[in-house]
Order: sequence, then structure tokens, then C-alpha cells
Amino acid sequence: MTKYILRRILGWALMIVLATNLTYFLASAFLDPRANYLQRRPPVPEFAVDANLTRFNLNDKEPILHRWWDWITAIVLHWNWGASPEGASVNDQVATRIWVSAEFVLGATVLTALIGIALGVFTASRQYKASDRILQQVSVVTLNIPTPVMALAAVVAGIALNNQLGRTVLFVAGSGSVGTRGFLPGLLDGVQHLILPTVTLVVTGYSGYHFLQRALLLDNIGADYVRTARAKGLTKATAIRRHALPTSIIPVATSIAFSIPGIFTGAVIAETIFGWEGMGRYFVTTISKNDIHGAVAVAAFGSVVTAIGAVLSDVVVGILDPRVRVS
Amino acid sequence: MANQTVRADGVTRNSLEARTLPRSTRKSRLYLKRFLRNRTAVAGVGVFVLIALFGMIGGHLVHWTYSDVDFLAIGTGPSRQHWFGTTGSGNDVYAQLAHGIQRSLTIGVLVSLCTTAVSAFVGSIAAYLGGRIERIVLEIIHFLLVVPSFLILALVSNSVNGNWRMLIVVLIVFGWMYYARVVWTMAMSLREREYVAAARYMGLGAAAVVRRHIVPNIGSMLTIHFTLGVVTTIQAETGLSFLGFGVKTPDVSLGALIGDGSSLLYSAPWQFWFPAVTLTLLTVSMAFIADGLRDALDPNSRAGGHA
Repeated sequence: MTKYILRRILGWALMIVLATNLTYFLASAFLDPRANYLQRRPPVPEFAVDANLTRFNLNDKEPILHRWWDWITAIVLHWNWGASPEGASVNDQVATRIWVSAEFVLGATVLTALIGIALGVFTASRQYKASDRILQQVSVVTLNIPTPVMALAAVVAGIALNNQLGRTVLFVAGSGSVGTRGFLPGLLDGVQHLILPTVTLVVTGYSGYHFLQRALLLDNIGADYVRTARAKGLTKATAIRRHALPTSIIPVATSIAFSIPGIFTGAVIAETIFGWEGMGRYFVTTISKNDIHGAVAVAAFGSVVTAIGAVLSDVVVGILDPRVRVS
Repeated sequence: MANQTVRADGVTRNSLEARTLPRSTRKSRLYLKRFLRNRTAVAGVGVFVLIALFGMIGGHLVHWTYSDVDFLAIGTGPSRQHWFGTTGSGNDVYAQLAHGIQRSLTIGVLVSLCTTAVSAFVGSIAAYLGGRIERIVLEIIHFLLVVPSFLILALVSNSVNGNWRMLIVVLIVFGWMYYARVVWTMAMSLREREYVAAARYMGLGAAAVVRRHIVPNIGSMLTIHFTLGVVTTIQAETGLSFLGFGVKTPDVSLGALIGDGSSLLYSAPWQFWFPAVTLTLLTVSMAFIADGLRDALDPNSRAGGHA
């Protein structure tokens, strides 16, 4: 099992390295830091622009392979991810933002999976009854609400609730209030800021798991081994929990990894709307400011998150599926 | 073919043949019947047709176009002059909405059509050829799935500067991978079938086998995917335009409209709610249509009664 997981981690690490380098070349091709100087008044002389760009290893007059080599050696030797065209260190930016994003994405990922799977199990054991049909239709609707619409509707609802109660219970902007001290007040403050964004991500994201889990569990409920368990006197609930669910949850666990990029995409929009200064917001800023190094760091973060999800799902599959343990 | 049966079996078969409809008609009527059984799907078609009609002819009902600026009404609410109000720069929201629907739908349909075609071809040819080619294609797909595609999309589409034709190309190039993998799994079981083997032994080339025997057999799945693909594309386009990387002014799409309206939620709510509700109705209705299509086309679907 450990060997299997280690092998998977190695494979993912290779993928991340490849993906990050590919993004470096793409970003260098499509982002143009020189354009940042075009609108300066008074105009900046070309030699000054060149000097500035060269200082941060962004000068497009140097061969791309040369720049790439400088960039990659700085990362490998000093863990220095470069600087923005204005000279701000990417490391500093990422170091704080990564935790903001982790707070934002991880909670939502876990909740999405749990709620989706729970609903899938619930509806599968009540196939074609009213509750199943209604929940199914609700999930089709929520799955297809565009993230910006959902997030802004959540903002409107949050403000309405605050007005109703006469004080600010749910914050609609930012990741924390300034000047909160102590552990418990800090935690409470964090939760108050986190509720609306998490609701947004969960509502738009859970239904994929709902449909998948429902379909897979229905395939297994009809299987011979579940019927045998029932024939031996187990109640339907116990038979599902002990026999049908462990088999049917395996593909769902695998699909969690592939859903993480989607959550990240949702997070980009949600962070923009809720004003969280996380990686998603950083991503928007880097692209609109032609910050090549920053954009690549975001891409690396995105693939690392995907890889973490994939490895976690491998671990879960390994625990659930004896066939993996043996090999 | 029909003549031959009549001659061989005489009168009885002849009258029987005359009464039954041609095969294709029977099948499409079955599909239609099964689709109509799904009430939400029918409602979805109704809503979708209304929105599409609004997109096509709605713009001609008023004398404003989406880019016209009315300096006498800047940022005004819905009125008789401007049915859905105006934006901060004096554009008519109604005309912009009609144009935005048109733009978003065009992008959605074209991209979904092309990604479905590409993923069907790549997925099934990989499954059919097998061996090294299959492994390489799968590795490429897997790798592209790790690359945060939304980021790459934003990178590239930002640099095409709001040109919606280029946006379509970009969305196709980065949109086919996931479904190609799904097609591959489906085509895997098809390649073992007798009729595929027969076609191969008759000397048909790989491309021809895929085109004539594998793709038609996953046709119903592809139809469903096409419908869902329109939704996914519209969502992606909306996200990009909302962030300012997709369709840009002076052109408008639903996402760009929502992006503009989002900062004026309270001061000019009409700028946000009209496009937001339209977009949600559009994506949800398409999803219900896809759901109905799945029930109608998938022989294994048992949702809701008998055909």
C-alpha cells in the first residue's frame, strides 16, 4: 500500500513539473510584460524598459530558453519563483495567499463530496419515490446555476439576512475582519466570512457526486451479493451500508480528484466576488497585469491541489478496495 | 430490398410490410414519445425555444442596437423607452441582452459541436487502434487534465482581445480532453464486437471503421454530450467574460453583462438581474433537455414508466 501510494506521488510530481514548465512557455508566449510600459505618461524610454525587464528576467528580447533556464535554476536552487514586472516577489504573494485559498477550497471540497455522496445514497435507497425525484430535479437546477450568479445571489441573500437581524452575521467581503484577537473570536470571525463562499461552492458543486453515487449504488443494490446479504436477514439499510456502499463509493472517490480543478475554477470567480485575496484572485491579477511568473506559480498551485486530491482519493480507494491493497 | 421480400414470401408478408412504417420513422417516433413523457424536459424545450427566439428576433423589436448609446438616458431603470433600463454608458440593456444571448448561444453550440466531434474521433480511434497509439493518446489526455485548463484558457483568451471567433477556437482546443476519455471507455467495449471485426476483415481502414461502425453506435451518448457541452461551454464563457478575459466591450455576451452588472447590484439591479436570470434559465433548461434526451435515447434508462 505505502509503495503504491509512493509510486503515485512520484507520478504526480512528474506531471506537476511538466505542467508547470508547459505553462511557463505558454505564459511567456501569451503575456507581454512590455505592454505594461506602453501606457505610461511620460513614455518610458526603451532602454529603461529593457533594463527593468531584464532585471526581473522578463525581457522578451532574450531567447526564451535562456530565460527559462534562469527561471528554473532559481526555483531548483533557491526556491525563488521570480518576480512580477513591478518587482514584487512571487514567493511572498503565494506564501500568504495559499492559506487563504486552502481555507476557501478544502472545506468546500470536503463538504461537496460528503453532501453529494450522502444525497446519492439517500436517493438511491428511495429510487423513483417522490423524494428521489424532487432531489434529482433540484440537483439538476443547482448544478447548472452559473457560479457568478450563485455567488452574487448569495451576497444579496446575506445582506438581506444581516438587515433582517439588524447586525452583521455573515460577511460578504474579505476573509477576516481587521483587529480580531484571540483564538475563539478569530475562529468565529473566520466562519462568519467563510459561510457564504462555501455555500456558493457547495451548492454549485455537490450534484455531480449526487448523480454519480446514486447511479453506482443502484447498480450495486440489485447485485447478487446484496441480495444474499438481505436473504441472510440483514435489514436493507445495513445491507446497503456494509455491502453495496463500499463497492460503489470507489469510483466516486476516484472522481473527486478530477473535480478539484472545477472547484478551483469556481473558487477563482467566488474569490473575486467575495473579495478573498487568495490564489484565485491572484490568478486574475497576474493575467491582467502580464505577470508571467505569478501566473505560472498559480498554475503550479492548481496542479499541486489536483495532485493532492488525486493522492487522497488513491489512499481512500486503497483503504476501501482490497484489490489495490494486494497489488 | 423490400421488393425482394415481397416476391419471395407472397401476399401475407406484403400486407404486413405495408402496414409497418419504415424503421427510422418508428425509432424517431419512439424517441419523441419517450422524450415527451418527461415533463421537465418538455418545459425545458419551451423555455429554451423562448430564449433562443428572444435572442434571434428580440433585438429587432426595439430601435436600439446593443452598441447604440443613448446620452439622454444613462443608467436609468426600466422604462417605456428602455424596457430593461440602460447601462452606465447609456446602452440599452434589452438590446444587449438579446445580442448577448445570441453571442453566448453561438459560442456554446459551435464549441460543443466541435469538441464532441473531436473527442468522439480521438477517443474511438485510440480505442480501436489500441497498442502504443492508445497509450500515447491517453497519456496526452491525462496530462492535459492536470494542467489547470481554466488558467490556460484565460491566458490565451485574454490575448485574443475579445474576438469571439478566436475564443471559440481556444475553447475547442482546451475542451475536448475529458470527454475523449469517456468516449474511449465506451469505444473499448465496441471494438470487441463482431461487426467491428467483420468490417476490419473486409479490409476497411481504421478511419472508416470508426466513422461507420463505432461512432454511430455511441451516437445517442454523443447527442446527450452535445447538449450538456453547450451548457458547459456557456458556463466557461460566462466565467471568462465575467472575469474580463472572454468577450470584451464593445461586444457583449451574457457573462460580460453579468460582470458589468455585478458591481451595481444595489444601485442598478436591472443590469445584473435580467442577464443573470436569463443565463440561469438558459443553462437549466438545456440541462433538463439533456436529461430528457438521456431518458429517450438510452435503452438502459428506466426513469419513468414504459415507452
